[in-house]
Amino acid sequence: MDMFVQDRVGGEYLTALRTVLPNAIVNEEWQTPRQVTITVTADALADVMKTLYYEHYGWVSVVVGNDERPLNGHFAVYYVLSMEGPQKCHIVVRVEVSAITQEWPSVTPVVPACVWGEREVRDMFGLTPVGLPDARRLVLPDDWPDDLHPLRKDAMDYRTRPAPTQDDETYEFINDAKQETTIVPIGPLHITSDEPGHFRLFVDGEDIIDADYRMFYVHRGMEKAAEARMGYNEVTFLADRVCGICGYAHSVAYTTSVENALGVVVPERGQAIRAILLETERLHSHLLNLGLVCHYTGFDSGFQQFFRVREKAMVLAEVLTGSRKTYGMNLIGGVRRDILGDQAIETRRVVAELREDVNRLVDILLETANITGRVVGVGKLDKQVARDFSPVGPMVRGSGFARDTRSDHTFAGYASVPFTPRSHDGCDVLSRTLVRIEEVHDSLNLIEALLDVAPGGRILTEDFEYKPHKFALGFTEAPRGEDIHWSMTGDNQKLYRWRCRASTYNNWPVLRYMLRGNTVSDAAVIVGSLDPCYSCTDRVTVVDVRKHSAQTVPYKEMERYGRERKDSPLK
Amino acid sequence: MPTLSHFLLAVVQALALFAVAPLISGLSRFERAKMHTRRGPSIFQDYRDIYKLLRRQDLAPGEAGRIFQFMPVVMLATLMVIATGLPMLTRFTPISAVGDLITVVYLFALIRFFFSLSGLDSGSSFAGIGASRELTMGVLVEPIMMLALFVAALLAGSTNLGEIGIAISSGTVHSAAATLLAAGAFAFALYIELGKLPYDMAEAEQELQEGPLTEYSGPSLALVKWGLALKQTLVVGWFIGVFLPFGSATEMSFFGLIGGLIAFVIKLFVIFGVIAVIENSVARARFRLTPQHSWLGVGAASLAFVFYLVGL
Repeated sequence: MDMFVQDRVGGEYLTALRTVLPNAIVNEEWQTPRQVTITVTADALADVMKTLYYEHYGWVSVVVGNDERPLNGHFAVYYVLSMEGPQKCHIVVRVEVSAITQEWPSVTPVVPACVWGEREVRDMFGLTPVGLPDARRLVLPDDWPDDLHPLRKDAMDYRTRPAPTQDDETYEFINDAKQETTIVPIGPLHITSDEPGHFRLFVDGEDIIDADYRMFYVHRGMEKAAEARMGYNEVTFLADRVCGICGYAHSVAYTTSVENALGVVVPERGQAIRAILLETERLHSHLLNLGLVCHYTGFDSGFQQFFRVREKAMVLAEVLTGSRKTYGMNLIGGVRRDILGDQAIETRRVVAELREDVNRLVDILLETANITGRVVGVGKLDKQVARDFSPVGPMVRGSGFARDTRSDHTFAGYASVPFTPRSHDGCDVLSRTLVRIEEVHDSLNLIEALLDVAPGGRILTEDFEYKPHKFALGFTEAPRGEDIHWSMTGDNQKLYRWRCRASTYNNWPVLRYMLRGNTVSDAAVIVGSLDPCYSCTDRVTVVDVRKHSAQTVPYKEMERYGRERKDSPLK
Repeated sequence: MPTLSHFLLAVVQALALFAVAPLISGLSRFERAKMHTRRGPSIFQDYRDIYKLLRRQDLAPGEAGRIFQFMPVVMLATLMVIATGLPMLTRFTPISAVGDLITVVYLFALIRFFFSLSGLDSGSSFAGIGASRELTMGVLVEPIMMLALFVAALLAGSTNLGEIGIAISSGTVHSAAATLLAAGAFAFALYIELGKLPYDMAEAEQELQEGPLTEYSGPSLALVKWGLALKQTLVVGWFIGVFLPFGSATEMSFFGLIGGLIAFVIKLFVIFGVIAVIENSVARARFRLTPQHSWLGVGAASLAFVFYLVGL
């Protein structure tokens, strides 16, 4: 990469950093012209992060822990910053953590956005962030042993699970209310959320005084499975399955990370096709959320109508990929399926239809008598809170920050078409909804523009070489915001470490501030405006009412039955 | 004293309403589905739901007491009593003691009282919030209802619902404007009483998981659901009996009753059609803003009273 020194973007930040903190940077390594990893001393970590975050307009994307003891004898923690000042690039701040003391100074007290990342590193690697204010577990369940940290290389096999250590839920929900409050538990299973998540509202009458919540009820251990079980090529398809809605964004982020690490150049046509599919995914995801806004305010007619129109976005996906979901389209180096002439024509037709339907429906939605009363001024995400916690996607764009990976960083085919990120200043549910409405239109325009400019030629590069222990970032703007993946290759055609961060992960920590000061009736619409994405369960429990027996069928058995269609596991 | 035939009519009327209530709520669901562009369940779905629930186990939370247990029965029984007194097929009330406006208003209040109490008694915080909402709605709705009915009673010179209906249908009331305004205010109050969108505060599914219903299951839930369906039918029937008695039987004769029945069914059908259009084209009102809405009703009812005084 040395020959591209003059192309590097972001070097100025490092120069500025060296003037303020002369001895902080130990090492500097460029993965791509717009991606640099700097190793800093532990003492200077907090200062480096604070300077880059607040003085050079950085945003925390993800915190990655890595067990590098087999490589260099240390653990390492990587803080990924998306620099969105005048020079747009990614700076990854790496700090080495001694294998003996197993602790490093926490950054959360100066940059609150690191809180979830540091809690997760503590759970998964057993390293202690000294000074981290929140001592609770984040990912691991309460019945997990204290000394077992799944992502350590010597910890456990991915197929086993330790025996539960206790039966009770011991997680402590934090309530900062001064007066006496009643607890309203929403979840772990609740009528408005189809996935488990436990929100606890502390209310006085109808007013929410404070709120806390807990996620990760269905943690699937995908990172462990990818590192231990799959080849680096197969992980592309696992990444598809991270989400049931925006899975394609994850597989683009993953393939981009490996392509960046190995220096693979994806043909331009492949890039354009990726962008078209990403926009298709955004269409059906945003239409889903617009429908849900109606549902949460009790306007089910709107909900059903949005779902009717959304069906066309699914048809679009079917035209482009052969299935209603944009799954299984990516490979490292490009995509698997071209867009042919008649598919392009059909796409344009569906896009035109969608535009008309969406316009009509949005008019109806905004003119419905009392819908504005439900969304204006509700669920305010204060600008300062947004700045401190680095939320992503329509969440942060609804609070006045025009952050959009599509315009901030180069990936897929977005560089070839004009694009301006949307933002609204209201900070409330309405602003986030309006951002989504505008983005639906943008997506329709982008699909047409991309079809126009996409050059002919190859869609896949296959001549590249797998190099050991190379790492880089990959990113996309998923419908819910930036998805970011950090991948490091191993020496066995597998990944040494894969950190996959879905957009909603960055959006949860601010929810507490959005709920405060609203009423119970607004809780559902506020959580919904986050467009949350939880996870999915991997087993099915079947209860036979007549025999009064319950039987748990392992996933593998269901999978086998789905394939073979004989010897039903239920008989 | 009611004669034997009046008494028979009352019992038959109550039982018939009890039997068809799930059909009427099923019809609402059907219309709702059509407006959603869904195929939706058949209009008999509510019977199936009730049948299914009746065969299920009845579970109550550990903290729940007697009131939680009795509420479904009390609710249904009170509704049946109301059903015997409302003038529906006939202009006169089958049992005049029950057909008094004050009796009916407070029988409905009794249901509300037990419904909220059961929510508080269940120990669930969702049910508790639902219960307090239900009571608040009661405070907001009752003044409108009472004021509107009193204006009508003053116009007709009787507090008997049948007498009021007869006076209005025969055109002997001296103030048309007051009657229309009172009817409007009463319709508005009853709409809130129906518990449909945008005013389904107590049971708001997405907000409170159906409020006081949260903890009910099995046969009790079946009874409560049946009761709510019957309540909606009665509330609409109440309006028809007082302000729209046109076409109902004036005396006890076979053909009169048949004619009254047909007229009643048509009116019921039209009104539920209008309700379906309203409830499916709005979002739920914010609970905090409902007092602003109910002031409108109080205003209309008060204006009706003023019109009565000046005799417009």
